[in-house]
Amino acid sequence: MQKKQWTKPFPGVDQDNDPFWQGLNRHEFLLFRCKKCGAWYWPVSFCRTCDNEPFFGNLEWVKVSGKGKVFNFNIVYRPGSPAYNDDIPYVYAIIQMDEGPHISSTIIDCDPMQVKIDMPVEVVFKDITTAEYENVKEDFTLPYFRLVG
Amino acid sequence: MSKSDFTRKYAIVGYGETKVGHLPEYSGRTLQTEAARLAIEDAGLRREDIDGAVNAKGEGGGGGTGNWTDGFPRVLGLPVKFYYHVGRGGAQASYGLHTALSYLDAGVANYVCVAGARADWQKSHVPARMKSEPGRSGIWGKELGDAAAYTHHSLFATRHMHEYGTTSPQLGAIAVAERAWACLNPAAYMHGRPITVEDHQNSPIVCWPYHIMDICLQSDGGAAFIVTTAERAKDCKKPPAYLLGIGTGEHIDHLWWEKGHYTALPVDTAKEAAFGQAGIGVDDVDVFEFYDCFTMEVLLQCEGYGFCKKGEGGPFVATGALGPGGSRPTNTGGGLLASHHIGDFTPMIEAVRQIRGEGGARQVKDAKIAIATGHGGELLYPGMCSTHTCTILGK
Repeated sequence: MQKKQWTKPFPGVDQDNDPFWQGLNRHEFLLFRCKKCGAWYWPVSFCRTCDNEPFFGNLEWVKVSGKGKVFNFNIVYRPGSPAYNDDIPYVYAIIQMDEGPHISSTIIDCDPMQVKIDMPVEVVFKDITTAEYENVKEDFTLPYFRLVG
Repeated sequence: MSKSDFTRKYAIVGYGETKVGHLPEYSGRTLQTEAARLAIEDAGLRREDIDGAVNAKGEGGGGGTGNWTDGFPRVLGLPVKFYYHVGRGGAQASYGLHTALSYLDAGVANYVCVAGARADWQKSHVPARMKSEPGRSGIWGKELGDAAAYTHHSLFATRHMHEYGTTSPQLGAIAVAERAWACLNPAAYMHGRPITVEDHQNSPIVCWPYHIMDICLQSDGGAAFIVTTAERAKDCKKPPAYLLGIGTGEHIDHLWWEKGHYTALPVDTAKEAAFGQAGIGVDDVDVFEFYDCFTMEVLLQCEGYGFCKKGEGGPFVATGALGPGGSRPTNTGGGLLASHHIGDFTPMIEAVRQIRGEGGARQVKDAKIAIATGHGGELLYPGMCSTHTCTILGK
């Protein structure tokens, strides 16, 4: 079978968010938490309320449920890149995770006109693999969201 | 409020703006250099007078590694003592100006040329032979669907609508007002093309809640200005536009939990500093040149500068106050929405024009004080611009 080409941008993985992307590969949704006070962060941040140890020593990546609600959204009719031509119209949303942090992604498998602020959502993992795509050098997993309930 | 030592110490004494629009035949470097040449000429200076230069880049911290503006002083032959890049997105001109002031203050330089350019339209129409492979974006969201400025900027509008009941026709009133100004500006891209709120409502939805008429133009064009000390300004060819105050605001230190950032820009500290230095209030300002990448940014600045109460920007702009003949003349050249987009060079240079009385049909009568703002910088996760700048210029 002929492999496809991945035409969307690749994730911008760096040292700070690598654990998060590795978690996605395992289908785990991680947030960054202060071990001292339990405050949740995303992306990587020093704790705002505690005395911090060097290099985030007092913080750790923790697996969470991946559930949240729609904080804000738009409906994209004209894609900013041709790579999204097949996806329009699609909903791009800021999701407020149950733990508090916001993250942005597309809400898939929905009628865009039905999406409203505060609707509950959960993460959906989409694997992008070397087996399927010729130009993908290493498997990665994208976190999309879908409406629940 | 008392005036500070800063007020009237420096002035913008020359500006240059190339033709703008769709200019695939010119590189960004060439557009920027041509603007710098025009600015020096406008100030009545010689190239050898310019001893400092700042390349005010459109790219913010979020991305863009283009090096096409590697040296307008080299191209033009400016004997500068310093030259470097300030990259702050839509606040590029403002931060370029601030950078210049520190060197003037220290006596390191006498005349500093701040120049920038955008080659945004041509970038999205690159011939196949110039296309590069899609690479890693380095920015959250591009791979997930946040592929354009409007796919996150429009979130300001959604949230303001949700919290305050603002409507799309109210945003349309901003587009209508700026288009009316553009129709008084022969150089504006939308000159001769007035619109109504109905036109705005009938225009295609690019990214709900934004219609195409909520979104600024993409332009090719260069812009530059010369800044010097008040004493030297007196000897220049044109009337100086004195700096009465400058201020900046930041959201860079905040994160996602600052939810108010979806319904406000960091205007407060910028306003406080600039108006404090100038010793004036907002009601003393005759002309407002607000950075207007999208309609909601204008509305948020109307609220931020106190034209109306927080949350009441929608009904306020619907009164037509921003347009020609309105109580708050705003974006008198047509702004980024209807004239051209060279970052915040667009508002800055229009403010100087109004102070000089060079506005032609769009000149605000007896304009003595104008403000120009910038907006941009890092894209805060997951979709807010971090910075706001306020520059007050006066006769």
